[in-house]
Amino acid sequence: MLITIGVIAVVGGGIAWWSVGQSASETVTGALAPITIQPDGSVVMARPGVTAPVVDVYEDYQCPACKQLELTSGSTLKNLAAEGKAKVVFHLLTIFKTDPTMSNSLRAGSAARCVTDGAQWLPYHDKLYERQPIETSVGFTADELVRWGHEVGVTSPDFEGCVRGLRNVATHQQYSNQVMASRKLAGTPTVMLNGQSLGTVAFVPSALREAVLNAAG
Amino acid sequence: MVQLASGRPVSDRLESVGTALSWVTTVARLVLGVSLFVAGAIKIGAPAVSVQAVKAYQLLPDTAATFVGHGLPIVEMIVGVLLVLGLLARPSAVVGGLLMVAFIIGISSAWARGLRIDCGCFGGGGTVGADQDPGYIWELLRDAGYLLCAAWIIYKPPGRLAMDSALGLTGSRDADASFVGDEDGETD
Repeated sequence: MLITIGVIAVVGGGIAWWSVGQSASETVTGALAPITIQPDGSVVMARPGVTAPVVDVYEDYQCPACKQLELTSGSTLKNLAAEGKAKVVFHLLTIFKTDPTMSNSLRAGSAARCVTDGAQWLPYHDKLYERQPIETSVGFTADELVRWGHEVGVTSPDFEGCVRGLRNVATHQQYSNQVMASRKLAGTPTVMLNGQSLGTVAFVPSALREAVLNAAG
Repeated sequence: MVQLASGRPVSDRLESVGTALSWVTTVARLVLGVSLFVAGAIKIGAPAVSVQAVKAYQLLPDTAATFVGHGLPIVEMIVGVLLVLGLLARPSAVVGGLLMVAFIIGISSAWARGLRIDCGCFGGGGTVGADQDPGYIWELLRDAGYLLCAAWIIYKPPGRLAMDSALGLTGSRDADASFVGDEDGETD
């Protein structure tokens, strides 16, 4: 009996060791790759001249699984771009169709489009995930969105007016609908490597890195 | 009906009832064990998804949710294997049954609070899209069925084709007292 329990404990411990190890998040060590905001509002993070492989990240600021993806694999994406191993493209969408989540997501998506400097965009993006409201309450209020922008160093003088005026809601929603239709997205987060969905591999930093490096050839 | 090898001087009718019931335990072990193992195996490769599925219920603080998200697939796989093997059948069924009680509480609570969760039990995780039906009633019925399996195994372990019998680990004297001839699973 004791031997049986002992064996079970050792096997369980071994699986736990493996599970935690292969899913451990990376840490961002060096400088980030340059970040540029595209005319359509998508955001490219890549070293100059790196055009492949392309890692497309489709996410929603209000989606809890997207927050989990950012917490787990966000650092891996930053590192891969910084190493010149991938061109990472962020597409911020609104997948929710009921409130409060839909309005929360639209306010956040609109506010992020008010950040015009790529170097300021990513810290703001990370901040929004860090402060993501729960799905059953109103969050991402105008006051919060402005304050967090200033906290992460958004300098554009027009930022506050843009956020409070919800200036980019229509553009954001239009882009979101168009991308979801054209890419046939089942939900967020979806991470695509050269156009193919990675599924849950995106949530396993070591597997994500391996997939991207293999695609680089 | 299986021919009993014990040769104890009891009536044939009692023996065959006892034999049939211990085969029911075997079936219950396989149903619960295989389901738990598959559920765990699907989640084990991507613990972050499992952690997210636990967080989606908004019942546990983040640290506890992370711990459960990592630990749950491992516990499910181990208990699943033990049930299939019939090793430590009763304690394993107790753990499996407690898991089902926890799942039923979690799903009911999510339903009552109007959360829209894809439970993540079979590979999903996170919230469902606005157009999808979370299907809570089916998940509850399914888990209630598994709970019934667990209860039966606890009531009458370890059933036929069980390592507990082979290793003399039955630990089921009280339940067996009411039926004769179900401890000779090793002769099958």
